[in-house]
Amino acid sequence: MNYLIGLLRHVFMLLAVIWAAATLNFFLPQLAPKNPITEKLTVLGETSGISSAQIVELTAALNERFGLDRPIWERYLDYLGDIARFDFGQSISNYPARVSDLIAQAIPWTIGLMVSTTIISFVIGTLIGAWAAWRRDSVLLQAVSSMLMVFSAIPFYLIGLVLIYVFAVRLGWFPISGGYSIFSIPAPTWEFAREVLHHSVLPALSITIASIGIWAVGMRGMMVTVQGEDYMTFARARGLTNRRMFLNYGVRNAILPQVTALALFFGQIVTGAVLVEAVFGYPGMGLLLLSSITLFDYPTIYGIVFILIVTIAVSMLAVELIYPLLDPRVRR
Amino acid sequence: MTLLTVRDLRVDYFTTTRVIHAVRGASFDLAPAERVALVGESGSGKTTTALALMQMIDKPGRITGGNALLKGQDLLALDHEQMRRARLSRVAYIPQGAMNALNPVMRIRDQMLDGMADHGRRMGRAEARDFVAAALEGVGLPADVGTRYPHQLSGGMKQRACIAISIAMKPDLIIADEPTSALDVITQQQVMETLIAAQEQIGCGLLLIGHDMGLMAQATHRVIVMQDGLIAEDAPVDRIFTAPRHPYSRMLIESVPSLGDVPQDQVREPQKAGSAAVLAMPATGDAGPSELLRFDHVGKTFRGGFFGGGDVRALAPVSFALAADTPQIVSVVGQSGSGKTTLARLILGFESPSEGRILWRGQPVDAMGGRARAGYRQQVQAVFQDPYGSFNPFYQVDRTLKLPLVNFDIAAGTTDRRRRVEAACSAVGLNADEVLGRFPHELSGGQRQRLMVARALMIGPPLLVADEPVSMVDASLRMTILNNIRELKDQFGISVIYITHDLATAYHVSDYVLVMHQGRIVEAGPPRAVIKTPGHPYTRALVGAIPWPDPSRGWPPVGRSRAGWDAAPVIHGGYPGFVLESGLARAA
Repeated sequence: MNYLIGLLRHVFMLLAVIWAAATLNFFLPQLAPKNPITEKLTVLGETSGISSAQIVELTAALNERFGLDRPIWERYLDYLGDIARFDFGQSISNYPARVSDLIAQAIPWTIGLMVSTTIISFVIGTLIGAWAAWRRDSVLLQAVSSMLMVFSAIPFYLIGLVLIYVFAVRLGWFPISGGYSIFSIPAPTWEFAREVLHHSVLPALSITIASIGIWAVGMRGMMVTVQGEDYMTFARARGLTNRRMFLNYGVRNAILPQVTALALFFGQIVTGAVLVEAVFGYPGMGLLLLSSITLFDYPTIYGIVFILIVTIAVSMLAVELIYPLLDPRVRR
Repeated sequence: MTLLTVRDLRVDYFTTTRVIHAVRGASFDLAPAERVALVGESGSGKTTTALALMQMIDKPGRITGGNALLKGQDLLALDHEQMRRARLSRVAYIPQGAMNALNPVMRIRDQMLDGMADHGRRMGRAEARDFVAAALEGVGLPADVGTRYPHQLSGGMKQRACIAISIAMKPDLIIADEPTSALDVITQQQVMETLIAAQEQIGCGLLLIGHDMGLMAQATHRVIVMQDGLIAEDAPVDRIFTAPRHPYSRMLIESVPSLGDVPQDQVREPQKAGSAAVLAMPATGDAGPSELLRFDHVGKTFRGGFFGGGDVRALAPVSFALAADTPQIVSVVGQSGSGKTTLARLILGFESPSEGRILWRGQPVDAMGGRARAGYRQQVQAVFQDPYGSFNPFYQVDRTLKLPLVNFDIAAGTTDRRRRVEAACSAVGLNADEVLGRFPHELSGGQRQRLMVARALMIGPPLLVADEPVSMVDASLRMTILNNIRELKDQFGISVIYITHDLATAYHVSDYVLVMHQGRIVEAGPPRAVIKTPGHPYTRALVGAIPWPDPSRGWPPVGRSRAGWDAAPVIHGGYPGFVLESGLARAA
């Protein structure tokens, strides 16, 4: 019964967070002094020789077409109704494509790349961190973990550039950019899957190398703390095997904050690693977001940010619901 | 025939600059079924000795010599895996910090079975269930504790669970490292009796480590006193308490605050005329300037969370008044959860009352504005339990001491501040040259706590709240610090609210004692009356459970029934300057 009330409360909080964030998301860009239509038409005017009177007329027509002439509260209410149906209207920069279609095209690429790299780097990083804390006398482990710490200080995109230079330009083992070859058409064939995998190796590697260290450092710190706990001393005094102390007493307790961090990390992966996607020309959400921002494509920005809000809120809910399963102390 | 023979045990710690000889050739024996106390203050080497028996000395420490024969086999000669197998099955260890000795994410049952599985005893479902139930029953816990997590148990239950887990394989020797130091006296007696019963049932030896001579007198057959890594005295319990040969043993025994022999000058009978006069004061009338602090039906209820967890009544409404012109020491005694700390926090202004009013010199504290509140904070000072946590570890202690002088604008100029700090140090018996300019970690616990008293003294508040000021300090220093606190009152006219779980120290230091239980005051009166003739069943249980440093005076049978603990409070009359008024009779 209590769990049900708690669940309802969490879901209510989820909706409230999404509403509040969506509202901010609506009003903040309105504060920007630029109008996307004027922006676009000014460029058009400079290049095509349309008269300024025609531009004014065109601007008014387009403002009406996109509903930008209506009062702000009316647009706000419409906006709320639309986003509830995941309808973000039409893209301005890719007119007349619908924003939801653009996102639907981009999101699998990002999720595929980010989920796999996040899981890989979490598992490897956490294990290395735990081991490095457990075996503080092992020179090899200390060397590996300090090296990872150095890597974690280098930004994703810089590692990406180095990887491109070495493995794509000099050695030619992997393609320089893109999610798949420009000559092929996406289709559910083995051939295409192999190609996608081939293209994703370098972006995945750059993200993994840069983030393993972050997980390792966090885990090592927690593990050192846990090793100083009384229950570790007691476990040792009870003659438990090293393996059991490491896994059931050490890792099991030290991993708790890591799991929280992982869930929050998952919340943000929909925007991808924007710069990594830019460096590799990877057709995911990051690239879409980047191009929408440069072109003041409000509907697309709204759409992406809204998806981001929802995933962050959902992953926070996931933390709230999963954490009690891992840590009995927070159960009610 | 001996069970354990330790000969010339040596443990050294190799720091980068020097070698510390923690244990310097300890030799002692333990007979089968014998209970031996290993006592000493912090740094005496008693815990190191015990850990060495299990080869649990970590770097930079090393066992550098000696042997320890358990039933003829040298524990120190076992290799890593042999030693692992010997732990739990042959040598059991009950840890000091029972509060955190259990893995918080595992059920009690699993923490019992995993150790046995690692010693080759795997059990089927039904067998395991029966085994756990029997083991828990053996320490007086219900079988369903096995399925619970550590945070769902009280401190006493956790310690019992630790005992059950440790002795599950019926070892030859139990080493218990201060197993009850975090528990109140009633729980302490219950847990000790459980441990002794289990030890007698198994028929194994027990090495009990601690510093409480009273407890050792009640629980053991023989006492080994350690000082600076050496064994100072090793004698049967009857002899050591009647005729200690080593001066250090004598000092340890004498430092136990006993309830019998209070020096005559500390016996203070209430002055009847005065108390009658103040008792007649109206309960809620306007406070005259003669009142320092008044609690006017003050209660505190902590509200439960948004969901789950009900309201907790930490303090039932209580009214009392503390006079401004008659400094006194009022002790508030109770176990954890009794509401004594809530009372202290209310006085310090860290919590707001959920009902009633707190008046400071007639002014409601809640209504005070910025300046008035700052003045209030200056006039009500605190000394806390952990003297290390009270200092900023990055500052030399001088800076922490001088800070209030600057903040409250008490002294102007460096020379004046320095002079005041030095004067305060000497007032608490510290040599200023020895302690000033040092960092907190360079000082002993006793020095740190005395500096905290000195700090309070410099500000010269009319009221000091001392929350367990001596519970983390070595026994030999306790009385010194308590005497410092007494001097605050006698020489400087500072009133003290002394919060403690230890009835014996309260008896020594205070003019008036309040005994609290579950948020209510159950007994109040001058210390002699409360301790010599306790009227309330709870106080009687509390007084009875105090371990006396006298083996001939046995522990009275522990009152397991809590009958009468919710009885009406017993008030032994007032004391001039402190008046307990009303609102304490209602049961929660």
